[in-house]
Amino acid sequence: MVGSIWGLGFAPVDYQQGNSYRIIYIHVPAAFLAQAMYVVMAICALVLFVWRLKLADVAMQATAVMGLAFTVLSLVSGAVWGKPTWGTYWVWDARLTSMLILGFLYLGLIGLRAAIQDPDQAGKACGILVLVGVVNLPIIKYSVEWWNTLHQPASIKLTEKPTMPASMWVPLLVNILGYYTASAYLVLGSMRAIVIGRERRASWVKELVGRA
Amino acid sequence: MLEREFKLAAARPGDIFKPMWFLMLVISIVPLALSPDSALLADIGSAMIWVATLLAILLNTEHLFQSDFADGVLEQWLFLDRPLAWLVGLKLIVHWLFHVVPLICIIPIAGLMLSVPSDVLIALLMTLVIATPALTCFSGLGAALTLGSSRSGILGVLVMMPLFVPVVILAAGVLIRATDGSEILPLMALLGAFSLVAATLVPIAVSAAIRLNIGGSN
Repeated sequence: MVGSIWGLGFAPVDYQQGNSYRIIYIHVPAAFLAQAMYVVMAICALVLFVWRLKLADVAMQATAVMGLAFTVLSLVSGAVWGKPTWGTYWVWDARLTSMLILGFLYLGLIGLRAAIQDPDQAGKACGILVLVGVVNLPIIKYSVEWWNTLHQPASIKLTEKPTMPASMWVPLLVNILGYYTASAYLVLGSMRAIVIGRERRASWVKELVGRA
Repeated sequence: MLEREFKLAAARPGDIFKPMWFLMLVISIVPLALSPDSALLADIGSAMIWVATLLAILLNTEHLFQSDFADGVLEQWLFLDRPLAWLVGLKLIVHWLFHVVPLICIIPIAGLMLSVPSDVLIALLMTLVIATPALTCFSGLGAALTLGSSRSGILGVLVMMPLFVPVVILAAGVLIRATDGSEILPLMALLGAFSLVAATLVPIAVSAAIRLNIGGSN
């Protein structure tokens, strides 16, 4: 929240792009999170197969939905920003394309889960797909990058000095952290809802509902 | 085992012709939708043939395990003393021989119809021979994952499509270079590497998916 207001309201105007650059305060964190969600999901899939924790499956279900939401958010905000800056809503550029593919992967996962009725079975099927996807994802990314690129290189890297002044990147950093914590909160919240939904016949849930 | 698969595949010649039929239909729709101008067709012809072949394989592999699942053969496979991934691999190979190779055989005709130049056509055939094992494996995985769900429909295809991206990009790279007349061998090697990795690893994932679907239905 702080980051968003700081970034959208007070950061200085970019000399080349004017005010439209402010959308990076939404776009960049969303894109970060969209990719991070897949990593979280892959870890959950691994946990599910190695230790057979049911909660890992629940986390996978929650992160798939969140991941799709962030992918769509980053694509839409990118398109809105692209119109005044690049002069077009959409180009077949490497990063845009790989984000789109990522979005389709998330959609496929959600669809697969919806199609299989038994939740345990659905979770394992999704787990297989996630693991196959995680092997394939770097290949997709590099092949798409090799195919065509126009997107500017990342402005912030951990190892280098940022290419923008502090008054611009500090709010961005705050915003990225804020997105991480907010999405962790949302994922945990939806996990709670999923657990309650799945265990709706268990006695502890009935007690909980009875008290509330 | 291998013999059974061969007999089964040969018993239904209609299934062998359907993908070819589909491919030719798509190829005939293209000039109708675009323009009969042969220069234009030659430019995009090879890419069109690639996409059509991809779709034909996807649609054809969708029900690969369905009948074996329904009559309990897959369940028997679980109790054999051979690894399931091995059997799945055999089934995929036979499927490729009977349903994909005929498809590749009619592609020269499709290429002629879209007036693809002959050196590009040779490159196209080579990419297809190298890449189709990977495509077959991935569509097999889609088929296996959606086995247990009764209302899966086209879902297996939708789920697997994004995973095809590297194959398509590499093959398109080969075709563009073949059109320019530049070196195609390095990209061909990459494509081959991808196909080999897919052919070794995907059967394991497929067998995990089959085991899961059979375990769940008991």
